[in-house]
Amino acid sequence: MVSLVIPSDISFVVLTAVTIIGAIIALQAKELIYGAIALAISFIGIAGFFALLDAPYLAMLQIAIYVGAVVVLILFTIMLVRRERGEEMDKRTDAAEGSMGLWLAGLLALAISGVVALAGTSLPTQAPAASLPVSDLGPALTLQYPVPLIILALLLSAALLGALVLAKVER
Amino acid sequence: MALNPWLAIIIWAIIIIVLTGPMLTLPMFWSRMKPDPFRDMPFESGQVPQGEARHRLVMQYYPYLLMFVVFDVVGMFLFAWGISFTRLPLNASAFVILFIVLLGAPLGYALKLALNKENW
Amino acid sequence: MVVFPPTTPAELIALILRVITSHTFITIIIFPGFIHLTLVVIFLTWYERKLLARIQLRIGPLYAGGPGGILQPLADGVKLIFKEVMIPYKASKPLFLGIPLMMVFLSALPFAVIPFGQHWVIANIDVGLVFVFAMTSLFPSMILIFAWASNSKYPFLGGLRSLFQQVAYEIPMWISTLSVVLLAGSLNLVDIVKAQEKMWFIVPAFLSFIVFFIAIMAELERLPFDLPEAEPELVAGWYTEASGAIFMLIFMGLYMKLYLMSSLVTVLFLGGWWGPAFLPQPVWFIIKTLIVATFIIIPRGVYPRIRVDMLIKTGWTRLLIIALANIFLTILLINSGLLAAWGI
Repeated sequence: MVSLVIPSDISFVVLTAVTIIGAIIALQAKELIYGAIALAISFIGIAGFFALLDAPYLAMLQIAIYVGAVVVLILFTIMLVRRERGEEMDKRTDAAEGSMGLWLAGLLALAISGVVALAGTSLPTQAPAASLPVSDLGPALTLQYPVPLIILALLLSAALLGALVLAKVER
Repeated sequence: MALNPWLAIIIWAIIIIVLTGPMLTLPMFWSRMKPDPFRDMPFESGQVPQGEARHRLVMQYYPYLLMFVVFDVVGMFLFAWGISFTRLPLNASAFVILFIVLLGAPLGYALKLALNKENW
Repeated sequence: MVVFPPTTPAELIALILRVITSHTFITIIIFPGFIHLTLVVIFLTWYERKLLARIQLRIGPLYAGGPGGILQPLADGVKLIFKEVMIPYKASKPLFLGIPLMMVFLSALPFAVIPFGQHWVIANIDVGLVFVFAMTSLFPSMILIFAWASNSKYPFLGGLRSLFQQVAYEIPMWISTLSVVLLAGSLNLVDIVKAQEKMWFIVPAFLSFIVFFIAIMAELERLPFDLPEAEPELVAGWYTEASGAIFMLIFMGLYMKLYLMSSLVTVLFLGGWWGPAFLPQPVWFIIKTLIVATFIIIPRGVYPRIRVDMLIKTGWTRLLIIALANIFLTILLINSGLLAAWGI
């Protein structure tokens, strides 16, 4: 079983940058399509985090479901609402309102990192996350958590039917 | 030299970009790329494009996109189970079979809704 | 022997030699890496044109360099690289230029996990199959973005049709490979091939093979699933506005995807690199993959096109039901113990 210990500092920094910058662009982009693409890049960053945490199956799941399906849905919706690329649906002219969110997020990040730095050595250290091989997922799903599996089936059915019934046109 | 396979994937990714990148950037140097309003008009077999295409006609496949999201998740869960199928007792796999069967009726109803063109 | 960092030229040469002959370097750069991939993709373009020509009672490329026009793809490549790249009016320039490169990247990336021989794999990860599927599930979105970025009606309609077609056939593709995963007990492609040592999975999972084959023909947008590039209707579908180097990148991406899907069929159903020992393992792999590619190319010269709504409906109703039914069949087959003689 190969563990995913790549030099984690540099990849952690790169992934953090990609995820956060992608999320910021997704919120601030004037062209919605660019925002959706930035969201996709942000999701890929999160998948990278999963891979770094020694959960490669979850990383692939994240890419296949989020970037492969959810982003496609978002893109399709954006594209059908506005057809020609010349028009803009929603002009962000209020720069102050947009950057206020960034300032608040930055202050919050500073506050949290300050608290963590001050608490420093008195925080209980955790052992690194145990490596969970993919072959453990099957037994866990069926032997340990069978009831949540069935509830999951019902939840997915509800989501599917709900989405279809809500989206259809009543005549 | 036993290399961490994920590192090998990253190296492979970098090699692909480095070696196919010139195919995109070199033509910018040696081929003409001047914008020209008449030549750059979208191709429409000679006539000047105008107006917007109807978008109602592709809304009829929208439910399939919704179904795709749900069955993407289902597929991923089934892969997780499929690995250890031969090592599990049959009554454990019965839950996953129940999972698939429970999704059968909603799948049928969803298909019935999706195939009915009047709904979209 | 090898000193890092090298201080004298002799040590530098020793370090370079050590890197060049290391297994990792050979797999990444030469085989099954970049050089082999490029050569095979170039060969496949020529092969397809010749094959279709023979089916249609023509000759195909003949004059470009040597017998049978073998250098024709090279001539095409040189021509396309020097052509002008026309960016449509008000198209999104970064997307228009960047997406084809991403397509080639996404087509080539899964080759890192496909095993061409017992030790000829770039990266032997435990979730190889899901890695390939995650990468191929990114294709529909890229086609949609490129079609939108072309800012033109024909590509946009073609892109939407292509999106729905590929999305429709992804799920049967995944569910049909679930049978293989059930039989092999692993997502690691090397383990899947190793489990086929005694019997290729096409035998117990024949229905899955058929579903998978049809699904990948739809994913590759090949006839009879050619609607996104229906020539009489949509000019060239979602890549209508691509010209010059952009078109070449897209073209290469499509043929790389063809090779990828063919090799996936070989790995999953046709026993990968197993074969009688008089030929080395990678050669068997390539032979089988080329045979699969031939069977994917041949329908292009034979069948008529399927209408898009029939196409999408078939993907979601018939193929999905057959794939799901086949899961139950496989479960029955494994549990009945019929396959015990072959170690399942």
